[in-house]
Amino acid sequence: MPSSIVTIAVDAMGGDHAPEEVVKGVAAVSLEASNVQILLVGDSRQLTHLLAAHRHDAERIAVHHAPDRVGMDEKPREAIDAKPNCSVLVAARLVAEGQADALVSAGNTGASVLACARTWQRIPGVRRTALASVYPTELRRGEKDDPFSLILDVGATNEVDAEDLVGFALMGSAYAARISRNPRPRVALLSNGTEALKGPESIVEAHRLLKTHTTLNFIGNIEGVDIPKGAADVVVCSGFVGNVVLKMLEGVSETVVRLARYAYKEKLMWRMGLMMLSGGIKQLKEVTDWEQYGGAPLLGFNQLFIKAHGRSRARAITNAIKVAAKAAQAGLAREIEEGLKTFAERRAAA
Amino acid sequence: MAQDTPKPEGKKRRTRRPGVAPPPETPPPPLHVFRWDLDKTYLKSDFDTFRDLWRSAFEKAEAKQAIPGAAALVRECRKLERARVTFISGSPEQMRKVLTRKLELDGVEFDEFILKANLKNLLRGRFRALREQVGYKLPALLADRVRCAAQTHEVCFGDDAEADAFVYSLYADLLAGNVGLGVLEEILGLARVYEDDAARTLKLAGEIERSPAVDRIFIHLDRRSPSARFHKYGRRLVPVFNYLQAGLVLIDDDLLPAGAGVTIAREMMEKFEYTELALRNSVEDLLRRGRIGRHTIELFAVACETDELLAPLAPRLRTIDAISAAPPNDEPIDYVAAFAQDARRERKKPPPKEDGWRESEE
Repeated sequence: MPSSIVTIAVDAMGGDHAPEEVVKGVAAVSLEASNVQILLVGDSRQLTHLLAAHRHDAERIAVHHAPDRVGMDEKPREAIDAKPNCSVLVAARLVAEGQADALVSAGNTGASVLACARTWQRIPGVRRTALASVYPTELRRGEKDDPFSLILDVGATNEVDAEDLVGFALMGSAYAARISRNPRPRVALLSNGTEALKGPESIVEAHRLLKTHTTLNFIGNIEGVDIPKGAADVVVCSGFVGNVVLKMLEGVSETVVRLARYAYKEKLMWRMGLMMLSGGIKQLKEVTDWEQYGGAPLLGFNQLFIKAHGRSRARAITNAIKVAAKAAQAGLAREIEEGLKTFAERRAAA
Repeated sequence: MAQDTPKPEGKKRRTRRPGVAPPPETPPPPLHVFRWDLDKTYLKSDFDTFRDLWRSAFEKAEAKQAIPGAAALVRECRKLERARVTFISGSPEQMRKVLTRKLELDGVEFDEFILKANLKNLLRGRFRALREQVGYKLPALLADRVRCAAQTHEVCFGDDAEADAFVYSLYADLLAGNVGLGVLEEILGLARVYEDDAARTLKLAGEIERSPAVDRIFIHLDRRSPSARFHKYGRRLVPVFNYLQAGLVLIDDDLLPAGAGVTIAREMMEKFEYTELALRNSVEDLLRRGRIGRHTIELFAVACETDELLAPLAPRLRTIDAISAAPPNDEPIDYVAAFAQDARRERKKPPPKEDGWRESEE
């Protein structure tokens, strides 16, 4: 057995298809990843029953009982207040106590972020946390030839100021460097124009701060159209803007697939054309398949949280756990802290 | 090392002195019998490809690997008073020497080692017998039972790769009188057992003294099969992920002392690099499945405290707060349906991937 084993706490009851698909994903990862131990948090009896139905390795899975769960449509604050023993809060607590190295949940995003906020500490220097998401682009980057760019924030903090955006840039750059093994990720601000003075005040000021007080590979502002082109490796924006952008990009991908299906049914010629293109379409589908991304990291806390998509099925859960394990081993929090410290020192010196 | 095949009575040398009572003709029957399958139960074996099979056939004893904790468990079982250990393997008789040597290297003593006459089957054109399990294992088990008394209790060890769960359960229920000869005949027919083997099996089953002798059947989840697949065989059968789990169930049954768990766990840590966390999770899994009680965990924890290597495991064991589920119900087993179900699964089974992972099967 390998020595560097990481333990990932998994909220078994969170998500549209929980707990069945979560357990299935956990069962699969227990057979695949020898360096990962799983701490499955949820209704113990139900989880035991589900585990028995799937091939898994019991030596790599522990179950921690949590009697309650937060529904996907519940109001986060009210739900967390009313259910102190809900699975996501218990799982976050276990990470805080050191019983696990990271948390994965496909459940209610607001409740998950709140659970982390109530049990974890922010990294010194972090004012606001950010949820980051990856998006496939035309370009390949880093040691791993990674096609993904990182967009943050995509929903943790709706309203931000310039300093928050700088914090996001530092955190996103650290994540891309560690996880995508891209030593000098290109960082950009998302705006309505590439000029330094374009956009709202927070963007203009953030541009100035990034340019003058950080050692990041800051390439300036980019527009929405540049995201799929891969113009930047890390795209920085407010949670509100990021969430809208991400949902729109997802919607475009799904619409393209639907249009292809429509064309396939409509005309024989179109069908033949699509059949000829099937290899390429399959590759495109693989690249744009969110299930393989492994979820979005919540950056800024001293512990790591990977938010899997609410619609996650087993494969997405498996990949989210693998990403969490990788990030937990990478010592991300320390790198973010150092980046923020350097920024503060340079700013003070100026 | 005990003998691997019983010597014919006529060849034994007898020394008698006048005035001294003659020794008993036969030793007293065993109190406990531990029946082990070999490949994938005791030994790590890879038979998924022809290349694996070829390599395994010519592998030296020193290169063969036991399943973690198996050797320690056999040794602990054999320490019991009048314990008998038998191995029944589907490996060919030609491998006796190397397999015996492997057990010797592991410090494992046994009383009987039955191997399959594959060459004989091949020469006689009995090709079905090369793979078939029911017609080979069941009569072998029944024939060995003749040496036992009605009070002799048995524990059987098999794996999830073949029909061990089915054969051991059928054997247990034949002994207990829960399965009639009519049902057995039907099963032998379904399994397409050769007529002479079927006749011998039926004869042995008819002659055997009825008693609920088999207390436990352990199925080593070598393929990590879903444990729910074995629920139909009732609570007597326990699917286990490793042999610490089997040892703990036997401690829970008051058959083995708590120290046996320590010996098994120690072997797993020292020889197979098991972590405390993996051992803890194994214990928790058993508790969650309702296969052991909390008192057994505490007994094991206390025993661990006396061992330098395992002492750090004790506090981890005491953090286990899992809720136990009810173990499977003990309903009468429909062996005809179970056979058909297992056969269907075998037919559907896709070839395993390199890392041994396949999609869930249930």
